[in-house]
Amino acid sequence: MVVTTNNNLVQNTTYKVVIPFYVYAALSFFAATVLLFLSDNAFTQHYFHPRTLAITHTMALGWGTMIILGASHQLVPVLIEAKLFSNFLAYLSFVLAGLGIPLLVYSFFTFQLNWIAQIGAILINAAIICYLTNLAVSIWQSKKENVHAVFVFTASVWLLVTALIGLLLLCNFSQSILPKDSLHYLSLHAHIGIVGWFLLLVIGVGSRLIPMFLISKYDNRKELWLIYFLLNGALISFIILFFSGVDDVLFMLPMACTLVVLILFAKYCYKAYQQRIRKQVDEQVKISLLSVAMMLLPIVLLLMMIVLLVFSFANARLALAYGFSIFFGWLTAIILGMTFKTLPFIVWNKVYHNRAGKGKTPNPKDLFSESVFNKMGIAYLAGFCLFLTGVLLSNAITLQVASVLLLITAVLYNFNVLKMLFHKPLIK
Amino acid sequence: MNEVITNDQEKCDQSLAALHHVIDPEIGLNIVDLGLLYQIDFDEGNKIVFVSMTLTTQFCPMGDSIRSNAGKAMQHAFPQYTIDIDLVFDPPWSQERISEQGKQFLNQ
Repeated sequence: MVVTTNNNLVQNTTYKVVIPFYVYAALSFFAATVLLFLSDNAFTQHYFHPRTLAITHTMALGWGTMIILGASHQLVPVLIEAKLFSNFLAYLSFVLAGLGIPLLVYSFFTFQLNWIAQIGAILINAAIICYLTNLAVSIWQSKKENVHAVFVFTASVWLLVTALIGLLLLCNFSQSILPKDSLHYLSLHAHIGIVGWFLLLVIGVGSRLIPMFLISKYDNRKELWLIYFLLNGALISFIILFFSGVDDVLFMLPMACTLVVLILFAKYCYKAYQQRIRKQVDEQVKISLLSVAMMLLPIVLLLMMIVLLVFSFANARLALAYGFSIFFGWLTAIILGMTFKTLPFIVWNKVYHNRAGKGKTPNPKDLFSESVFNKMGIAYLAGFCLFLTGVLLSNAITLQVASVLLLITAVLYNFNVLKMLFHKPLIK
Repeated sequence: MNEVITNDQEKCDQSLAALHHVIDPEIGLNIVDLGLLYQIDFDEGNKIVFVSMTLTTQFCPMGDSIRSNAGKAMQHAFPQYTIDIDLVFDPPWSQERISEQGKQFLNQ
């Protein structure tokens, strides 16, 4: 007989909460690449184009945000060393966001920014409030201070700010409620989302997961706090400068802070890599580490845009390349890598949890095809580089070929996700 | 280097041999070389084996399975005993607990 006297093991969040987010994100990635394939000519025009807006929101909300929400319901308990407060709130945030996102994307695609778009945005805001409440109570109940959890919570507050501004901008299209037109506030909405939500969250979670997956003893809390204050400082100073209507050259200040943050985070990852005990680094971690380097590309493009703006020369191609390098570059690369470091464990636990000791079980990494993953990685890198070239050169043929490669990436990604989800137990 | 505290070295060695077959699925290394075992004591009067072990993190997603597999491996090695597994996180696991063989395996 086997008994357990002391079960200090905190229960993981049930797979029933987490998996729907992953499935939704995978389908959104596929939908975004289909839209990209059908709309490649939109990327030779101004960035304020209905199809570009539809693709950007599919990527930012359906792909990036949904997978992060799903993964964080699993990861936050790990970070704060306590149980998730409410599964119901997690389900509710999934349902609300899941309904709101298509409404919003459809409205952008057809460029009918009416009540349908507003309902979509309200539902998304409600989903974020549910998520934020769940997070806040979970952290409060844990009573353990943890720098990673502070990153996640602050990032989620910025997500809510981004979504609220988005809702305001939508309302401003039909009734003039803001002093200027919505296009004027677009960079505010976008940068709070990119820096406040995505960047802060990726650094907060990545600084915990990358050393963990590498089995590295590197840990530098001081540096993480410095990153935290620098990044939030950059964002707040950007907001102040935005409303002050000052000279464009002053925007170099928040940009420089962000650049320092990226260099510090890259250094953090490099140190973790150097001090790793596990020498062999798998492809999933490699692509995640590559995404850290890919963070520098948007900053270079942004620097070029600001320099051109100082000389009163706005370049729409650079703006498109900037947005593309964030959503299809850095963000997609990290998700492609991390999906296959997190989902296999969730599925493995679902299938083999009650079968432990009944025979030889496969390893979590055996639940998906490594060869399909490698092909996906090649298609992705080729598609990304080619599409970026196509945007910068405004070349329709390059864009068309690149969009096919990105579509193939999404198909292979979905294949592996479905392969994991439909995995049948190898032992009874 | 990790050392397992015990009141019966011979039976402890037998236990470690059995637990060598329990693998952490993420790392691919057995729990003995990974240094997850703290103490194995034998109560001969009541026929109970007390196993005190840890995990690499308190929220290890594989925690339940590793513990369950360790219990089954011990039960197989000592069928006449009740196996009592105590999961502890103080002191927490650290990389220093990985054995030399474990480090060699991870260096491959």
